[in-house]
Amino acid sequence: MRRLVVRRLLLMVPTLLVVSVLIFLMAEIVPGDVGRSILGPYASPEQVAALNHKLGADRPLVERYVRWLGGFVTGDWGESPILQAPVTRVTFESLVNSLLLAAIALVVIVPTSIVLGVLAALRRDSLLDRFISVTSLSLTVIPEFVSGVILLVLFAVVLPWFPVTASAPPGADLLTRIYHLILPAVPLMFVEMGYIARMARAGTLEVLDMPYVRTAVLKGLPQRRVVTRHVLRNGLLSTVTVVGAQVGWLVGGLVVVEKLFNYPGIGRLMAQAATLHDVKVLEATVLVVAAIYMLSNLTADVVVAALSPRVRLGG
Amino acid sequence: MEQASPPVGLPAETVVSEQALRRRYVVRKLLRSPTFLVGLAILLFWIFMALFSTYVTRYGPFAIDPYNTLTGPSAQHWFGTDDSGRDVLSRTLAGARPVLEVAPLATLLALLAGTTIGLTAGYYRGIVDEVLMRAVDVLLAIPVVIAGIVIVSGLGASLAVIILVIAILFTPPVSRTVRSAVLAEREREYVQAARLRGESGLFIMAAEILPNCLPPIIVEGSVRLGYAVFTSATLSFLGFGLQPPSPDWGLTISQQSQNIQVAWWTVIFPAVALATLVVGANLVADGLRRTLSE
Amino acid sequence: MTMGATDASGVTAGTGGTGVATGTGACEGSGGGGSVGGRAPGPVLSVAGLKVTFVRRDRELPVVKGVSLEIAPGEAYGLVGESGCGKTTLALALMRYLPANGRVDAGSVRIDGEDVFSLPEERLRELRGTKLAMVYQDPASALNPSMKVGEQIAEVYRFHEGLSRAAALAAARDSLERVAMPDPDATLERYPFQLSGGQQQRVVIAMALAGDPRLLVLDEPTTGLDATVEAEVLDLIEELRGKVDAAILLISHNLGLVARLCERVGVMYAGRIVEQGPARELFTDPRHPYTMGLLRCLPRFGVRKDEVSLVPIPGSVPPLGSTMPGCVYASRCRLVRPVCTRREPDLFAVPGDLAAKGRAAAEGEPPAPTAQSPHDAEPVGDAARHTRCYVPDEVPAMRVEEEHVHKVQARAARADDVLAAAGVSKAFRDGGRRLVAVDDVTIDVVAGETFGLVGESGSGKTTLANVIAGLYAADGGEVRFLGQRLPPRAAERDRDVLRAIQMVFQNPDSTLNPSWSVRRILSRSAARLAGCRGAARRERVEELARKVHFEPRYLENKPAELSGGQKQRIAIARAFAGSPTLVVCDEPASALDVSVQATILNLLADLQAEQNVSYIFISHDLAVVRYLSDRIGVMYLGWLMEIGDAEDVFRPPHCPYTEALVSAIPTLDFDHRRPRIPLRGAIPSLSDPPTGCRFHTRCHRFLGDLCRREAPPWREAGEGHRYRCHISPNELRELQLAELGPLPGR
Repeated sequence: MRRLVVRRLLLMVPTLLVVSVLIFLMAEIVPGDVGRSILGPYASPEQVAALNHKLGADRPLVERYVRWLGGFVTGDWGESPILQAPVTRVTFESLVNSLLLAAIALVVIVPTSIVLGVLAALRRDSLLDRFISVTSLSLTVIPEFVSGVILLVLFAVVLPWFPVTASAPPGADLLTRIYHLILPAVPLMFVEMGYIARMARAGTLEVLDMPYVRTAVLKGLPQRRVVTRHVLRNGLLSTVTVVGAQVGWLVGGLVVVEKLFNYPGIGRLMAQAATLHDVKVLEATVLVVAAIYMLSNLTADVVVAALSPRVRLGG
Repeated sequence: MEQASPPVGLPAETVVSEQALRRRYVVRKLLRSPTFLVGLAILLFWIFMALFSTYVTRYGPFAIDPYNTLTGPSAQHWFGTDDSGRDVLSRTLAGARPVLEVAPLATLLALLAGTTIGLTAGYYRGIVDEVLMRAVDVLLAIPVVIAGIVIVSGLGASLAVIILVIAILFTPPVSRTVRSAVLAEREREYVQAARLRGESGLFIMAAEILPNCLPPIIVEGSVRLGYAVFTSATLSFLGFGLQPPSPDWGLTISQQSQNIQVAWWTVIFPAVALATLVVGANLVADGLRRTLSE
Repeated sequence: MTMGATDASGVTAGTGGTGVATGTGACEGSGGGGSVGGRAPGPVLSVAGLKVTFVRRDRELPVVKGVSLEIAPGEAYGLVGESGCGKTTLALALMRYLPANGRVDAGSVRIDGEDVFSLPEERLRELRGTKLAMVYQDPASALNPSMKVGEQIAEVYRFHEGLSRAAALAAARDSLERVAMPDPDATLERYPFQLSGGQQQRVVIAMALAGDPRLLVLDEPTTGLDATVEAEVLDLIEELRGKVDAAILLISHNLGLVARLCERVGVMYAGRIVEQGPARELFTDPRHPYTMGLLRCLPRFGVRKDEVSLVPIPGSVPPLGSTMPGCVYASRCRLVRPVCTRREPDLFAVPGDLAAKGRAAAEGEPPAPTAQSPHDAEPVGDAARHTRCYVPDEVPAMRVEEEHVHKVQARAARADDVLAAAGVSKAFRDGGRRLVAVDDVTIDVVAGETFGLVGESGSGKTTLANVIAGLYAADGGEVRFLGQRLPPRAAERDRDVLRAIQMVFQNPDSTLNPSWSVRRILSRSAARLAGCRGAARRERVEELARKVHFEPRYLENKPAELSGGQKQRIAIARAFAGSPTLVVCDEPASALDVSVQATILNLLADLQAEQNVSYIFISHDLAVVRYLSDRIGVMYLGWLMEIGDAEDVFRPPHCPYTEALVSAIPTLDFDHRRPRIPLRGAIPSLSDPPTGCRFHTRCHRFLGDLCRREAPPWREAGEGHRYRCHISPNELRELQLAELGPLPGR
């Protein structure tokens, strides 16, 4: 078990390295002249060259990469020339904001979607099942900004129950902040909930067809016991993996929702950095997000391993 | 029936044309599923609009009317006008075109690339598999939307770039699906029989294995199509897709959302349009999956 | 009698036991639960006129078409028949546990007088586990993988007897002891995957017995288990019969198994019971053509292909759900009369009124139906024999009719080797572990002979076959073909070698490419292996089809449209496309029903006689191997344990492992019941094979340290007959003969 975790953690290192190379290439090389893109078309060539020199953009590629990576690993993430602030601070401040939003969404998503999925599976082919299935299927594929805009119109404009922006006034207490985040969290919930519910349904159905469930029923166990001990215990393992993997989609959703609701999270920061060619910020945020994504996948796999005796005991 | 004497002693093993029955069953089942039919109708509607919307609507999607900006729904403008006085109905219907140009092409490219990678990795296994799948893992390590933003911001937004980006981002999941289908097929005995005939790897992959992996590939394609619409719209919304004055829905919503408090109609109609398209595409995909996997 | 379409779907797997609402109220006049409490003196199980229908892809498929049977307290009743006859469906209907698309159309099932279909949900739950218990085909999947074995058994005590957790665990421990589980305390704490197949089945049986059931349903309890494990489970069931007073319903396709365990037997065909009676009489003197047909398909132990030919039943089991006006078996019956296709015969008693009723019916018009529905009048329960046939007294004569012998080309005294594999080894890597699947094996195959390869799973027989065929490259040793050293992989072999060495695989469902037509399959092989082009190729395809008795009009069909037997025949035709010299047959008939198996074995024997081809024939079924093979090799955990002429290998002196395998074969021979040799423990893992002799951990002739320390030497037991053991041939012969007594069969 410990070996599994260590092995997976070690495997993350090369993957993250390759990701960092990709991001570095995309962010630094492709835009062409970094200084030009920052200073705009009216700056003199000398000014551009000076800025490039200051940013180190005139050095050979490999050297720049090594220097950047070295700084990154040692915690020196540099300064954002656009935000005029240390990249580390900007990144982590917005990360905390995003985590709050994501946490609100996840707290609702995980239990609700699992209950819905399991319910649909247990009542397979019933009206309830069809309803849950079709609704969840439809909700997962509607982009967050679409449901977000519809929600905004309905519950912030037509019925002014919620604020139009997600940012609470400075100094607001946690409850106020959460209140501001409810509307933005709903589109995230829609997309994720539908998907996880479908996976929970599929996982449960698969187990329901297993011979050992038949054994449990024909042993004369009460239905509750069959469902909790025999069906869910095995059926939800795959759902845990799915939840881990869904963090990737969630991050994508954050970018969208934070833009729509004007919320200073890491998604908005990333989109901004990409638009304005704020290379350092872009690199930092993408790497952080990739690492979080990988960690969440890893956590899910570890949880699955811990719950399945075969993996835990090394069968 | 009385006269029919039984065929005694004949090795007359009864042959029912299972395949023909199955095909008929699949079609019948699809045509009887209300959700599939609704999805199909929606999809056909938008395909029609993508092709012919300019013949149907009264105003052009780009026709500016500076005297009639942000007017609400009326007899002249059923869906109202936007901040440039453009007819929202015309733009909403015309907005089907950019999405339906990007998504199917991107999906097709991803299917081609993913099938090639999945087939190769799954059939050869070993080091080939290892290298290809690690590459796929790396691509999967970056959330799709993030990767899309980074690449488009690098390469610049154009129709070709967006198609390519979505194709690249959707290749990994397709190759995983194909690979696992191939892994199941390659252990089957007909593949071993082909090897004992001395067939080449290419022949075995293309002629023996691929045809039997088509159902999961079709299902994967239909699911990906929905997500391609999702992703291209999201990129547009974030400003990393098509640029103004395109009537693209994501772009329109992004552009008009600042007016949301005074002119909700400028965003709600494109939003509903986009929602119906993705839902329609997915109802079709779901119908296909349910019947094909039965 | 008819129950208004009892919808059993509420009790199904699909809903995981949720909401069984439908169906319970639908049953009218069925006695409202019957006599609860106080055990009725009548039968434990009584099934009357049961009809079960499945709905698949909008088609209604009757699967059980009116079955009646009774089982008395303490009685063991065997239900036999080929797959698709409705045996398992019947069993699940007894438990009121049909899949979502199945429903009971008519009939009733009573356990101790209680009508199962009309019970309220709560009472049904009580019934399951206490009065009714079931043992399943695949023990590995019948146990919850994420729950300790002890807890799974304890559940029965906790939820039926209301014991506390601790008390239930103690009871579970006792139940493990009852099924002779070694080290029951440790077993309680184990997960299913930590147990061997035999131990898993012990756990399932312990669980079934935990509620002290009145009826124990055993559904193919040993199918899929290795021969020695099967013997272990059988011994256990036999032993438990003495201790437990439950009635038993044993469902199996294996006639030998049923003959061994049951007093009374029912033969099921196409959803009907066609013959019923005491086991011994029924198997020695069958009175239904189908029963006789089944028996004639089986190679009797000790009989060889050049002595007796197998007689397959023509045709195949009718597709699920087909209906016919007359006798369900008429289309395949050799004794068919016009009347048989018009009206189905009743279940006549044998011999009693048989002659009168049956004759009259066969010659003239069918007797007028006496009751509304024939099955109502069926006499059930008594020991008398019954058969659903108009001419039962003609059945015994079928035994001698048209038996023909396969012409076997006389083997030259010492023909040349076609194939010689010397010191072949092959290892696989599983994670970090190295599994030596084949370890230094040397065999040779002579022109025109059949070399049988037997052994349990993990013995390496299939790996060896794949090395010879060129699917795996060996790690060590060499394979020579007609004196030439063979390139290890098929891809490196030239067309002449590819043509000459071909393979027939086990699984009819995956042996043919499902998206190719039969013509394309054969035509591709004809082109690649025989080098045929154009018209010659078309010609060759049809010739191949004729050779395997495949009707050319089905050539355009896809494999999904063929029966299992037809698929396997095309696979054989494919292997013969280039007139091979050696064909490796890896369990070619094991996945098929006995009647189809016989056709395939006959076909292989005929092709051999015609073309003088050599076979390497792999099978776990020793009776089949003995029937077909000239020489035999026995493998265990990667080692070749014994090799020699078929006759020699099957009689003393032979390797103790072979001895155990032979003793494990269930036979229909009622007069010569041989004691089974119980093997200790499970088959060891290939990643950690035993030291010394590979077999020493399970050997019943274990000598002690010598076996544990040193690999046994090869012993010469006769002309070309060798085995590996520390015990010398003379000593072994005496030991083994002493236990056997007179040899059965021949």
